[in-house]
Amino acid sequence: MALEQPVLTKRIPTEPWGRHEDRHYVDYNEYVKTGGYQALDKALQMDRTAVIDEIKAAEIRGRGGAGFPAGMKWSFLPPVDGGRRFLAINADESEPATFKDRLLIDYDPHQVVEGIAICMYACQLDTAYFYMRGEYHDQRAILERAFKEAYDNGIFGPNSRLGQINGRNPDLFLHRGAGAYVCGEETGLLNSLEGKRGWPRIKPPFPAVAGAFARPTIVNNVETLACVPHVMENGPDWFKTLGKGRPEGAPPHVPASFGTKLIGVSGPVVRPDVYEEHLGVKMSYCIEELAGGMLPGMEFKAAIPGGISMGVLTKDEYDAPLDFDIGKPYGILGLGTACITVIPEGYSMISCARNLARFYARESCGQCTPCREGTEWLYKILTRIEAGDGTTKDLDLLLEVASSMGIMPGTTICGLSDGANWAVRTIVNKFWDEFEAAVKKNRFVSLSVANNNN
Amino acid sequence: MAWITKNSAGAHIERQSEPYLNDEMKQELTPVVDRYPRRQAASLPLLHAMQEKVGWLPPQAIEEIADFLEVPASEVMDTASFYEEFWLKPKGKYVIWLCQSISCEIMGEPSLTDRVAEFLDIQVGETTPDGKFTLMKVECLGYCGDAPCGLINEDIQQKITPDNFIEVLKNLD
Ligand SMILES: Cc1cc2nc3c(=O)[nH]c(=O)nc-3n(C[C@H](O)[C@H](O)[C@H](O)COP(=O)(O)O)c2cc1C
Ligand code: SF4
Ligand code: FES
Repeated sequence: MALEQPVLTKRIPTEPWGRHEDRHYVDYNEYVKTGGYQALDKALQMDRTAVIDEIKAAEIRGRGGAGFPAGMKWSFLPPVDGGRRFLAINADESEPATFKDRLLIDYDPHQVVEGIAICMYACQLDTAYFYMRGEYHDQRAILERAFKEAYDNGIFGPNSRLGQINGRNPDLFLHRGAGAYVCGEETGLLNSLEGKRGWPRIKPPFPAVAGAFARPTIVNNVETLACVPHVMENGPDWFKTLGKGRPEGAPPHVPASFGTKLIGVSGPVVRPDVYEEHLGVKMSYCIEELAGGMLPGMEFKAAIPGGISMGVLTKDEYDAPLDFDIGKPYGILGLGTACITVIPEGYSMISCARNLARFYARESCGQCTPCREGTEWLYKILTRIEAGDGTTKDLDLLLEVASSMGIMPGTTICGLSDGANWAVRTIVNKFWDEFEAAVKKNRFVSLSVANNNN
Repeated sequence: MAWITKNSAGAHIERQSEPYLNDEMKQELTPVVDRYPRRQAASLPLLHAMQEKVGWLPPQAIEEIADFLEVPASEVMDTASFYEEFWLKPKGKYVIWLCQSISCEIMGEPSLTDRVAEFLDIQVGETTPDGKFTLMKVECLGYCGDAPCGLINEDIQQKITPDNFIEVLKNLD
C-alpha cells in the first residue's frame, strides 16, 4: 500500500503530495512553525538512556548503505570518562546514482540538525562534524545558513539548550571533503576528518570505541539522523507501522525494515527525482508511478537499485521490493542507498559493467592489493571485451577476479571492493548471454578490424 | 640506483618572498583550526581556503600550511595529493568537470564530452593553451536526476545538452 503521508519529505514538496517546483529552503522559523524542534525538546525532558531506548525500539537501520541498527550503534559507546566524544555526520554521498541526502540538505536541513542534536544529547557527544563531499558547493552556503540559525536559536554554542556535554558547549561544524569516494566509508571519513588521506582503517577498533582523534565517535548517515526526530515525536510504535516490517515468521531479533525510505530514480524516466515510500515498495512502482515511467520510445532493460555497489536487477525482477531483505532472493548485495538507475533497452550491459568497473578502479584508495589491482583488471578486461577483443576465458577471469575481492571473501579492509565485486559479477551472471555473444562474435579480431566491419 | 642524484629528489620549488599564508589569512583561519582537537585536522579546510585564494596549491603554500599546523610538510603534501579536488599544478580559469558515472553516461555523457573536447580542441585532462579552460571527467556529482550534469568551477550544470553547454562556454570571459 502506498505511503499515505510523507514523513522525511513532510516539508519538501514531492510527488504525489506536492510538486517539485514548489520546493524551497525551510528556514528555522518555518521549521519551528511546522512542528520542528519539538522532538528535541521532548528528548531533553527525558533521560539520555531513555532516548537511546526509543531509537533502539524503533529499529531504525542505517540509511547510508550498510543498514546497521542505529540504536544499537549508539549503545556501543563506552561509558563517559570526561574526555571528548564526537559525532560524524556522513554526507559524503558519492555512491554513483545516489542523490537522496542532498534533498534533505537542500530543502530541510533543520530536520537533520534536530536529529544531530538529539543524538548528541542522548549519546553525550560534545562536537559534531558534518562531513560533506567537496563537490556539493551550493550546499555549503545552505548548511552554513542553517547551522547559524541553529546557533542563534540556542541549539548549539554557549546558549545551547542541550546544556554542557563533557564539560563543553555543544558544537556543530561543517567539514568539507575534497573529492574521494572512499571518504564515505566511515573510517576513511574519520581519517579525512583528521586531515589525513582518506584511507579506511582496519577494524576493530570500531569508531564507537576509538574513532575520530582516537575518541568514541558515532558515524551516521544524513537520512538516518533525519529519521530520529520523527521517532522521538511519534514514538517507536508509530515508526514501526511504516515499512515492510520483519520478514514473515522471523523471530524478533531478526533485523527488519521499518520506516520510510528516500528513493532516487534516475536514467531515462519521465520524472527522475527523489521520492519517499515505505521500505518494501516495489521497484516497478517507483519507476512507473513515482517517476512517471520510461521516456517515450524507451523500454526497460534492467536497473541498478541500490547505488551501483549492490548489483543489477533484470526485467524479470522488476517487481523486487526495496527493503533490507532484498539481497538474498534477488542475488544482490543488499538495499544499499535505494537509488535506482534505470537502464534502457539498447544500452549495452558490457558498457554498463565497464563504466562501473572504471569507477572502482579510479576510486580505490590502493591500500589492499586485491582491490587496487583487481579493480584495474576488471576495468581493463571489460574495456577489452567492449572493444571486441574479448575471449570466452575473459568471462571466467572476470568472475574469478571479481569474486576474490572484498571484506566478505576476507581479502580487503573496506567494502569498496565488495561493491566492485557485486556490481560486476551480478551483471556478468545475469546477462551472461549478452557477454557470451560479445566474446564469441569478435574473437581475436582487433579493434580496428572490428570497427571497420560494423 | 641510489647513488645517482635524481631530479625528483631536489625538485626546484618556485619561491616568492611574500608568504601565501599571510597574517591576515592566519587570523581568519585560527577559529577554523580551533574547531578540532588536533591542528592537523584543519588541513582540508586550509587547503580549500588556499586554493580559493591562489587558484591552486603551490609547494611553498603547502609548506606554510604545514608550519602553521605544526606538522611536517610531507604530511600536508600527502593529504593534498590524495584528493581529486586539490590542484598541485595551475589549472585553467574555468575547470569543466563532466560526470561520467552510470546515470550520466546513459543520458548522453560520452557524446557531450566529445563535443566539448572538440570545441575546446583539447583532450580530457588538458588545459587550453590560453589557460582559460581545463576539461576534466569526474565520477557521480550527486545530481543524477538531472543527468547529464557537470560543474563549471563551482556552478552545477544540469540536464546538459551539447549545444546549450557550448553556448554557455562561449559566453564565459
Ligand atoms: C566505499 C564505501 C563508501 C561509502 N559511502 C558512504 C556515503 O557516501 N554516505 C554514507 O552515509 N555512507 C557511506 N558508506 C557507509 C558507511 O561506511 C557507514 O556504514 C555509514 O555512514 C553509517 O551510517 P548509517 O548507519 O547511518 O547508515 C560507505 C561505505 C563504503 C564501504
Ligand atoms: S578495499 Fe580498496 S578502497 Fe577499501 S581500503 Fe582496501 S584498497 Fe582501499
Ligand atoms: S551519475 Fe552523474 S551525477 Fe550521479
